[in-house]
Amino acid sequence: MESLLKEDVKLKPFRFTIERGKIREFAMAIGDRNPIYYDADIARKEGYRDIPIPPTFPTAIEMWGGLDFETLISLFGLDPLKVLHGGQEYRYLGELCAGDTITAGPQLISAFEKRNLRFITIGIHYKNSEGIKVLYSESTIIERRGTE
Amino acid sequence: MSDLTAIHKPEITHTQLVKYAGASGDFNPIHTVVPVGEKAGLDGVIAHGMLIMGMAGEALADWFPRKNLRKFKVRFSKMTRPGEKLTIEGKVTGERMEEDEKRLTGEVSVKNEAGQLKLSGQFEVKI
Repeated sequence: MESLLKEDVKLKPFRFTIERGKIREFAMAIGDRNPIYYDADIARKEGYRDIPIPPTFPTAIEMWGGLDFETLISLFGLDPLKVLHGGQEYRYLGELCAGDTITAGPQLISAFEKRNLRFITIGIHYKNSEGIKVLYSESTIIERRGTE
Repeated sequence: MSDLTAIHKPEITHTQLVKYAGASGDFNPIHTVVPVGEKAGLDGVIAHGMLIMGMAGEALADWFPRKNLRKFKVRFSKMTRPGEKLTIEGKVTGERMEEDEKRLTGEVSVKNEAGQLKLSGQFEVKI
């Protein structure tokens, strides 16, 4: 059976406060030993306001902030066993550091099916507390369909 | 075109996938629960794609100041399993202007020991 694409799916905006401990945990899980993610004094000496986020940290913001795996599965009616991450893009427009609270505005960019694969692309604009755009994230997830 | 210094990562372990699940908040059980990975037809668990991109991001912030990174875009190719050892390679491919800012453009890739491509991507950094 083919489930319908939920074109009218509503992705809710969310807010997230970036914390030093979460950055540290994230860098450790990757095995990234760059000291700017662990020591605020070193980060400041390198010219950051505070501990900066690693390049892929926005995924933690998304997952912990409201767009987690279970939410995506239920919003789009996906089979959790058949979902893969196809691609990811980040555009860094401003500095993001521990202590910053940001607002994320997610939107569905596209959803289509091609050769037994369903592609869903979600874009998220992030703004800082002054309303300035600091980051854009675009993520494509793929659901393997068909009969394996 | 200039090659950047390759970064060699230690072997990926099940424990690392559990840590990354907690850190990132991605609790899809195909990354952490072996019977679920088997049921999904994956022959066990697979690493989060974002963990592999995270390693590529580590390399970028090693090659260039973190704050100069402007764009980072990847496509995931093959799945990665515990036991694999990955290497991140990169090269600078050119220069471009974005408004008044001069940027280097480059390519990054992640491969296992057998040379199997896991991820390929592009980046831009402010000069």
